[in-house]
Amino acid sequence: MQNIELTKRAETVNELLARYGVKFGIYKNNEFKEQLFPFDTIPRIIRKDEFAYLERGLKQRVMALNCFIRDIYGEKKIIRDKIVPEEFVYISSGYLAPCDGVLPPRGVYTHIAGIDLVQGRNDEWYVLEDNLRVPSGASYPMIAREICRRSSPVTFETYHVEDNRYYAKLLRRTMDYVNTGGHTVILTPGRYNAAYFEHSYFAEKTGAHLATGSELMVEDDYLYFVDYSGRREKVGAVYRRISDEYLDPMTFNEESVIGIPHIYDVYRKGHVALLNAPGNGVADDKGIYYFVPKMVRYYLGEEPILQNAPTYLPYYEEDMRYVLEHFDDLVLKDVAEAGGYGVVFADRMTARQKADFIALLKREPRRFIAQEVIDFKDIDIVENAKRVPRKADLRAFVLMADEPIVWKSGLTRFSRDPDSFIVNSSQGGGFKDTWVLSQ
Amino acid sequence: MKTLQFHYHMEIAFSEPVHSHIYTLKCLPQTGGTQRVEKCVYQILPGGRVQESTDSFGNRMLYGTAEEEHSLFLVDVTGTAVTDVQDSDMPQNTPDFSVYRYGTPLTRPGRRIRELLGRCRDRTADMSLRDKALVYMEAVHGSIQYGRGVTDINTTAEDALALGSGVCQDYAHILLALCREDSIPSRYVVGMMTGHGESHAWVEVYDGARWYGFDPTNNVPVEDAHIKISHGRDYRDCSINRGVFTGQAAQRQSILVEVTENGGTSA
Repeated sequence: MQNIELTKRAETVNELLARYGVKFGIYKNNEFKEQLFPFDTIPRIIRKDEFAYLERGLKQRVMALNCFIRDIYGEKKIIRDKIVPEEFVYISSGYLAPCDGVLPPRGVYTHIAGIDLVQGRNDEWYVLEDNLRVPSGASYPMIAREICRRSSPVTFETYHVEDNRYYAKLLRRTMDYVNTGGHTVILTPGRYNAAYFEHSYFAEKTGAHLATGSELMVEDDYLYFVDYSGRREKVGAVYRRISDEYLDPMTFNEESVIGIPHIYDVYRKGHVALLNAPGNGVADDKGIYYFVPKMVRYYLGEEPILQNAPTYLPYYEEDMRYVLEHFDDLVLKDVAEAGGYGVVFADRMTARQKADFIALLKREPRRFIAQEVIDFKDIDIVENAKRVPRKADLRAFVLMADEPIVWKSGLTRFSRDPDSFIVNSSQGGGFKDTWVLSQ
Repeated sequence: MKTLQFHYHMEIAFSEPVHSHIYTLKCLPQTGGTQRVEKCVYQILPGGRVQESTDSFGNRMLYGTAEEEHSLFLVDVTGTAVTDVQDSDMPQNTPDFSVYRYGTPLTRPGRRIRELLGRCRDRTADMSLRDKALVYMEAVHGSIQYGRGVTDINTTAEDALALGSGVCQDYAHILLALCREDSIPSRYVVGMMTGHGESHAWVEVYDGARWYGFDPTNNVPVEDAHIKISHGRDYRDCSINRGVFTGQAAQRQSILVEVTENGGTSA
C-alpha cells in the first residue's frame, strides 16, 4: 500500500467532491457556515477475514441493543434482574417516557446504527460509541468511492475491494421492511442542517421522497406527503433525520416548528414506521454503553465478540476508587454530551482544573464515565505532499431488517491535528474511504 | 364514596380568525384508582374529526385538526364520577412506577429543596411512606403562599420555592421534588375539585401497593372532593390542551370548572 495511483488524484477528487456539494454545516458564533469535508485519498484497508470478525461482532452488538430498547420500553426485565440499574435508564436524556409501551412496526428500533470503533496499536478493535439516534456519514464514503473510481479506475483494477455503492439498496430494504403501506420519505430539517447533503443524496439513491416537515401532514390517523400541486400520497415509512425532541410538537418539544404535529400518534397506532425509532437514545447514552457487553450476555446468551474500551462507572464505588487512583491516565466523558464535546483528558488538565473536576465527579458520579486512553493505531494521511500519521476511527453501519447487515465499508474519520484524539467532523476532522478487501 | 357531577369548560378566544388548528386534549377523567367515571360526554368546537388514543402514562387523549376558520375554540366535558371508592377490583393502572421516582427538569431539586427535605427528615425518621408524604405536603403548604402571576408554566420547583409564591402547579412540583429526592415514586395529577373554579393540580405517591393523593395547595389528603383527569411526571405530561394553528392571532384562554355533589344545587 505504498503508492497507489489514487493518491496522485487527490486534488481532482476533492474538487469533484466540492462540486457535488459534499459539505457539512456548522454553527459558529450563531452563524451557519458550510465547510468542505476534507477527503484524504489513502483508504483505510480492512482485510477480508478481519472484516468478517467485525461483522460478526457488530451484528451481535446491534441485535443486543435492539433487544435492550424493546425491553426498556416494554417489560423492563433487564432492570428487574438488576443487570442495569434503573436510574441509568430513567435519568438518561435519551429515555423518552412517551415511548413506553409503544412497539414499532416489526419490532425494529435500531434500523440504521452507526457504531464507532478504533483499532489499538495491538491491532485489537474497540467499540467507542454506539450511535442509534440519527447516525450520519454513510454518504461520504459512498460518493467518495464513486468519484475515486472515476478519477482513478486503474486503482480498482489493482485492488480487490468490495463495492460499497450497494448501501442505497440496503437502506431501501431496511425502509421497505418496516413500511406499513405507502410512500417512503426522508425527512430533513432543511438545507441548513449539517447533513443536508446526505439527506438529499440518499433520497436520490433510494428513490424516496425528500421532504421537510411542512410537506407532511396527518389526517385521520394517517400520514400524508403533500406535493407542490397539493396532491396527497399516503406515507408508510419515514427515515427521519431530525431528532426525537423536534419530531412532533404535540408529544415532544412544543416549540418545534420542523416537526409534524400528530406524527407520533400515527406511529403509536402502527400506521407509519419511523426510522430510527424514537426513544433509541436510551441505548446510546454514554452511561448505558458500559452495560452493552452485559446486554449481549443477557439477551443473547453469548459472549461479546467486540469489546468496549475499558470503561469505569464512578457510580460504582469500586470504579470511583479506581478512577481517583488512576485519574491522570483516563479520559472522562460527560454522558449528556455528543459530537466530541464534553470529553476531557485528565493529563491535560491543570492542577486547579483537576481539583474542580474531581469535586464535580464526586458530586455527580452518574454524570461521567471514565475510560482508559486507547493508544490508537495511526493511519497515514497526505499533508503538504508528505505522508503523516494521524488518529482515526471507523464508523461502521449496521442496517436492520429481518436481520442485521453490516455494510462492507464505513466512514473513517481522522483528526487533522496530530495531538488530538477527537475525530468528529464538527471539530474540523477529515474523512477517508474504508476499503474492505474482497479476497 | 361520593357521587359528583362535573363540568369542565375551556375556551380559547383568538384576536383574528385562525385555521388548520391542530390540537391534542387530555381532558377526560377515567375510571381507576379510587374513582369511577359513570358518565362522560364531550364536545369540541370546531373539532373536525376527533381521534382517540391513550398516552404512555395511561391518559386518554382526544386529537384532531379544526381545518375551518374560527375565532373561538371550545372544549366542554360533563359527566358523573364516584370518588373515594375503596374497592380492590378497581384498575390501578400502575405496572411501572419506577419512572415516577426520578426528577424531571421541572422537579429537579436544588439547595432549597434539599434544605426543606432536611428539615422534614428530623421528624420523619421512622414514619411510613404515607405519613412522610403528609409531612412533606404540610411543609410545602407552609413554605409558599398562593399567588398568581409570580410563576409561569416553566417555573421549576426549586425556583418556585425560592420565590415563596405560586399556584397549584408549583405546590405540586415542590412536593414531587421532595418525594423524589427521598426516592418515593410520585406523580403529578391534573383534575378538578368540588366547587367553582379552574382546573387543579396535586400529587399522588405510590406506597408499594397503590397510589394516594395529596393536595399541597389545600393541605389535605385526597379523599372524595377531587376528580382526577390525568397524571404524569410533571405538568408537561399533563397539559389539558396542546395546539398549533395557522394565523397571526393573540389567544386568550379561559377555563371554568364546576363540580357539585349529586342532588346539590349548582349556581
